[in-house]
Amino acid sequence: MRNKLAWLTVVLFLLQPAQAQYRTALPGYRYEFPRDHFSHPDFQTEWWYYTGNLKSSDGHRFGFELTFFRQAVSRDPANTAAWDVNDVYLAHLALSDLDGAKFYHTERTNRAGPGIAGASEALGRIWNGSWQIQWEGEDQNLQGIDERFQFRLKLHSEKPPVIHGENGVSQKAEGPGRASHYISLTRLATTGSIELAGKRFEVSGTSWMDHEFFTHQLESDQTGWDWLSLQLADHTELMLFHIRRGDASIDRYSAGTYVDAQGKSIHLRAGDFTLQPASEKWTSPVTHGAYPVHWIVAIPKLGISLEAKTPLESQELTGKTKIAPNYWEGAIVLTGKRDAKPLEGVGYLEMTGYDRAVQLAH
Amino acid sequence: MPRLLLFYQLMVRPLLREPIRAGLTVLAVALGVAVVLAIDLASVAATGSFHSSMEALAGDNDLEITASGGVPEGAVGTLAALPYAIRISPRIEDYALLADTKQSFPLVGLDLVSEGSAYEQDKAGSGGELSSAEAPKDSIEYLEDHESIWVGSSLGRKVGDRVRLLINDRVREYVVRGVYPDSNGNESAIVMDIAAAQQALTRYGRVDRILLKVPQEPNLDEWQRRISAALPAGVEVRPQGTGTNENRRMLAAFRWNLRLLSYISLVVGAFLIYNTISVSVVRRRPEIGIVRALGASRRVILGAFVGEAACFGVAGALIGLPLGRLMATGAVKLMASTVESLYVSSRPGAIELNGASVLLALAIGVGVAVASAYSPAREASLVSPVEAMARGRREYDVSIHKVRDLWLAIMLAIAAAAASRAPAVAGKPLFGYLATILLMVASALAIPAFVSVITAFTSKLLGKLFGVEAMLASRSLAASLQRTSVLVGALSTAIAMMTAVGIMVGSFRQSVVLWMSNELPADLYLRPAGSPAADRHPTVSLGLAEGLAKIPGVVAVERLRAYEIRFQEMPTTLASADLDVLDVVRWYQNSEFLSGRPERQILPELRHSNTVIVSEPFAYKHHLKAGDTITLSLGETQASLRIADVFYDYSSERGSILMDRQTMLRYLPDPAPSNLAIYVSPDARLETVRTEIEKAAAGHRVLLFSNRELRSEAIRIFDRTFAITYALEAVAVIVAVMGIAGALLALVIDRRRELSLLRFLGAATGQIRKLILLEAGLLGLLANLAGLALGFALSFILVYVINKQSFGWTIRFHWPVEILVAALTVVYAATVLAGLYPAQMAVRLNPLEAVHEE
Amino acid sequence: MPILALQDVSKDYLSDGQRVQALHGLSLNVERGEMVALVGRSGCGKSTLLNLAGAMDFPTTGSVLLDGVSTSSLKDEELTRLRREKVGFIFQSFQLLHTLTVFENVELPLLLAGKTNVREAACERLAWVELEGLGERYPHQLSGGQMQRAAIARALIHSPIIVLADEPTGNLDTTTGNVILELLLRLTHEKNIATVVATHSLEAAALADTVVRLRDGRIEEITRR
Repeated sequence: MRNKLAWLTVVLFLLQPAQAQYRTALPGYRYEFPRDHFSHPDFQTEWWYYTGNLKSSDGHRFGFELTFFRQAVSRDPANTAAWDVNDVYLAHLALSDLDGAKFYHTERTNRAGPGIAGASEALGRIWNGSWQIQWEGEDQNLQGIDERFQFRLKLHSEKPPVIHGENGVSQKAEGPGRASHYISLTRLATTGSIELAGKRFEVSGTSWMDHEFFTHQLESDQTGWDWLSLQLADHTELMLFHIRRGDASIDRYSAGTYVDAQGKSIHLRAGDFTLQPASEKWTSPVTHGAYPVHWIVAIPKLGISLEAKTPLESQELTGKTKIAPNYWEGAIVLTGKRDAKPLEGVGYLEMTGYDRAVQLAH
Repeated sequence: MPRLLLFYQLMVRPLLREPIRAGLTVLAVALGVAVVLAIDLASVAATGSFHSSMEALAGDNDLEITASGGVPEGAVGTLAALPYAIRISPRIEDYALLADTKQSFPLVGLDLVSEGSAYEQDKAGSGGELSSAEAPKDSIEYLEDHESIWVGSSLGRKVGDRVRLLINDRVREYVVRGVYPDSNGNESAIVMDIAAAQQALTRYGRVDRILLKVPQEPNLDEWQRRISAALPAGVEVRPQGTGTNENRRMLAAFRWNLRLLSYISLVVGAFLIYNTISVSVVRRRPEIGIVRALGASRRVILGAFVGEAACFGVAGALIGLPLGRLMATGAVKLMASTVESLYVSSRPGAIELNGASVLLALAIGVGVAVASAYSPAREASLVSPVEAMARGRREYDVSIHKVRDLWLAIMLAIAAAAASRAPAVAGKPLFGYLATILLMVASALAIPAFVSVITAFTSKLLGKLFGVEAMLASRSLAASLQRTSVLVGALSTAIAMMTAVGIMVGSFRQSVVLWMSNELPADLYLRPAGSPAADRHPTVSLGLAEGLAKIPGVVAVERLRAYEIRFQEMPTTLASADLDVLDVVRWYQNSEFLSGRPERQILPELRHSNTVIVSEPFAYKHHLKAGDTITLSLGETQASLRIADVFYDYSSERGSILMDRQTMLRYLPDPAPSNLAIYVSPDARLETVRTEIEKAAAGHRVLLFSNRELRSEAIRIFDRTFAITYALEAVAVIVAVMGIAGALLALVIDRRRELSLLRFLGAATGQIRKLILLEAGLLGLLANLAGLALGFALSFILVYVINKQSFGWTIRFHWPVEILVAALTVVYAATVLAGLYPAQMAVRLNPLEAVHEE
Repeated sequence: MPILALQDVSKDYLSDGQRVQALHGLSLNVERGEMVALVGRSGCGKSTLLNLAGAMDFPTTGSVLLDGVSTSSLKDEELTRLRREKVGFIFQSFQLLHTLTVFENVELPLLLAGKTNVREAACERLAWVELEGLGERYPHQLSGGQMQRAAIARALIHSPIIVLADEPTGNLDTTTGNVILELLLRLTHEKNIATVVATHSLEAAALADTVVRLRDGRIEEITRR
């Protein structure tokens, strides 16, 4: 689960949405592409999430993150003017200069306005200002622009979309509708360029896309989560997440997905895998949260055991207000074994709730 | 030290002996300094601040995007998608009135969703260092709610307060959701989300301005080019603050003229310093001789008298400072209302009395004092030691070359006439000012001849009419020609400026009155309530016009619309009239055009076509004439418009362009009118119709004027506009009258022997008093005569040169007889009154002490 | 009855806060047709006596009777009228107004008294002092002696009963001074007026009908011829 929900909780908290107006994620949803790559305004919350590990031709390693959020605010039919706020669009942009040991991140918030932000199937475009995904046939063109850096990447999916969970829903808690529709493109061959500090890098590598839409929000005793996307050298991928509860236990709706080399996915329940933080921690100088940046992953039924480490410890995105949560989201490097054979890989790790509990309820 | 002692004994002690006269001189300088300072401070506060009313929360941006009639809002999306790291801040900009206090504030609609997060980011990035341009906090909370506003702290409202705002012709209640700190009251604005602002103003589809922050690399010009390339043709991209600069430029002539006017008091003050020091020199001639005999050099004497003047200057400046600050408070109000009704919306800023103003005051005070004292001080330094012993005549003959000076005066007057024919220099009537100065100098030079001729011819007559005292007064004035000339010069300069400005304003007023009688054809006029400003065009709700047209007795409702636009980097007004009503009402009036062609011939040319008429100031400023074509950026297009003719217009100095409503709607489709002109059937009773209209307009905040009321309202605004010029004139006259009082005091002291002798010869005390008052009266008369003559000449320069070149108005010359007579009578009475105290002093002289020489 | 009678007159001044007694119990009568010379050093009280005599000042004790009326009893307007009708003044430095012609200077007392058609009288007085034909001149066009003559004409213009002259020869050379005094004496007798002349010069005093020698505010000696 790509849970950027924390960000939206700010908005949720403030806007007190009337959820009754929105559809909930129920089993049996019929996925259809490319339609389902774009906006689902019937659902209250939606996001598109791109991360990737890239390398320049001379070996310089980068990680990137570009995320688009849509949060419905109003479905008042009287809202007809361009500036009326039906949805709030947030976006995060981050670049990890893994070899330069620098982390850059920024964010923006907009309304749709007169074409300022949106996710339009007709245009094949998901955008927030100059940050955008432009579909071009089967490929996607990413553009992320900041004063300090910019990147332009072409993403080509080597596998069909993965639908996480069971029966088209990724269940988050007990009860119907307490779930999301969760789509991933787990292996996106990536080429393009990064400009940083006046230098231009031609890069290539692998990216991951998550797209999730839902109306249900997390439960009040869920205090944080750890999430990993792993792209392994044997052309398989893993998505795993833990929801941590207030009593330090792991929520039973924690789950994962395994995608084999042919693109076939297997749902992993909480009991199917272990996700153990090593003792090594990185303490944020900004939030003073202590993040476990070294993880031990084991999926016995697949014979996989891996160690996840990061080349750059300071990949924390700090929120701009006290109420907005901070989180750590960064590139990781994997080493380990599958059935006694050495296995390597890259991935992304997200951790929330380490500086303080993520507040999900009012 | 010895020198200082000498200075004290020779200079300061005599001054202390005549505290009143010294005081008057100081006060005259103080007033002169005060006026200059007041106008300086006030014009900075009143016109320097106007930019901030719309720059509230504008932040540190690099570029601004504008278009006449508003930027199509799609441009925001276009800009947002550009692959550049730019920050985009679209704004709706207008005005709202607090319904309760009628105070007007800029209404700024911001994209609070975007700005709110940008603000948070800035705060994090810069370690909490806030600019005054931050967007309101927590704004996201009230996105959906169009009743939310954020206000500056200087408004004194708390979060949760309910505020009733008059926007256009509607009053709505808003809730204060946040208060942002505006350390400077100028920045105070009412902030809404952009969606709420569009709704409040019923102005959809356009934003007024888009501010851009661009990267430093490569450079601003390149960014300007890149951004322009992405936008429609009619949209202008320019550095932020250009509008402010344009406004400044527009106001330059106004400020400049006002400032020059403020120097008149100073000139009058200079005359008086000159006189005071001259008197000191004359009176202390024997002492100077003694000091010289005792070994003081010429330089010491020169220094001593210049030093005396400098003392006056410093003392005057020190008093002038607080006085100027005080006067500035009044001046700001007057200027602000002028600026608002003629130029641009403005809220006066705080008056800032800083080190520079203190230095300015000191420099002016001391500078003027020293400069005007130099000549008499030099005279003093030329006194030879022998004169110490000579007990000769007390009044010495200053070498006055009456005839030579008269010739010089005539030559200067001819030069002035020549200068007045020269064209403006960079939009400033520099030669006009030169002509004014030349004429004033000419007049000063001609005054000795004038005084001697008049006194010579009239002393007998005066003696017959007013008795021996009049003859004595006249002779005495003629005898001390230099002193008399200076006094007459000072007072006549003040009177001349008063007369000239009086004639100019009077002519202007008369021109406006005549013009209005031709320009206002409708029976009733309706506009949104709120204070009118030259650059604000609030609109009337769309449905109202249609509703009114249905009222029985209403023949037609003409919809007029005005926009604030820029043409060739100057603000101007674009207006449209509904020429279709011409089919219904034959209201062809006698509107006058420069070509002299009748209106019924010109207006039909405008109908539905790209043909416009422009106002005289507009044509003058932009060097345009009938037949020329202008290109205007309107919305997203560039429109080419042919000028059919130029019309006389006195309503605004900024100039205006008038087109047919149908033409305007092609470019700017917003149909809401700014004003309605209502034509009532001659068969209907106007009052009945008016009552019906008022009923129909209930719920709208509009003002309804009858034709006559509108005229008197216009004249009221006109008079308020010129109040400050009258105030400046009054101060100059007060300074001059004070000078007369001081000079008469000196005269009494210098002539105490003569006055005592008259007592010996049988003069009653009443006769002594009469003598002094007659001298005052004669001075006043001479000054009035000279002042009127000079003022008349100056008024021609003001009306036909300075006004025309500064503002572009054609003013018909008109004598405001009543005002002039009243003003001159007041001045005259004041002059005579100024003689009262000196006369009383003369009466109290002990004749024994004065006459007997031991 | 004497034209001027001083009866036991004392006059005190306050000078720099100190009482100075200018005249001590002084008595003196002056008759019509009599020229009295007051002599004595500077500060002996000559000028004070003249001021009292001209009703320009008033005694501290005692009384000054001008034509039988005590000056101390008169109000300001009455004093002005008294000066206009009965007293003429002559000063050391002539005190002509240099902005006025000789005629105008001479006519001034009459004009101040509100009289019109005064030119005839002025011509006559100028004839008395032998200045015929100089009436249109300005004072600075006259010699010292001529100026004092004009001043005498002015003092006589309103036919006063008493003329008071303070050092009339003080600014003139001896010869001219004597001529002036002789003129004054002649006019005193011819027009039957009283004249009081304060002077330093014993030579001048010798011409007078009566010489009053003052010393420290007291009459030291009265000599009648």
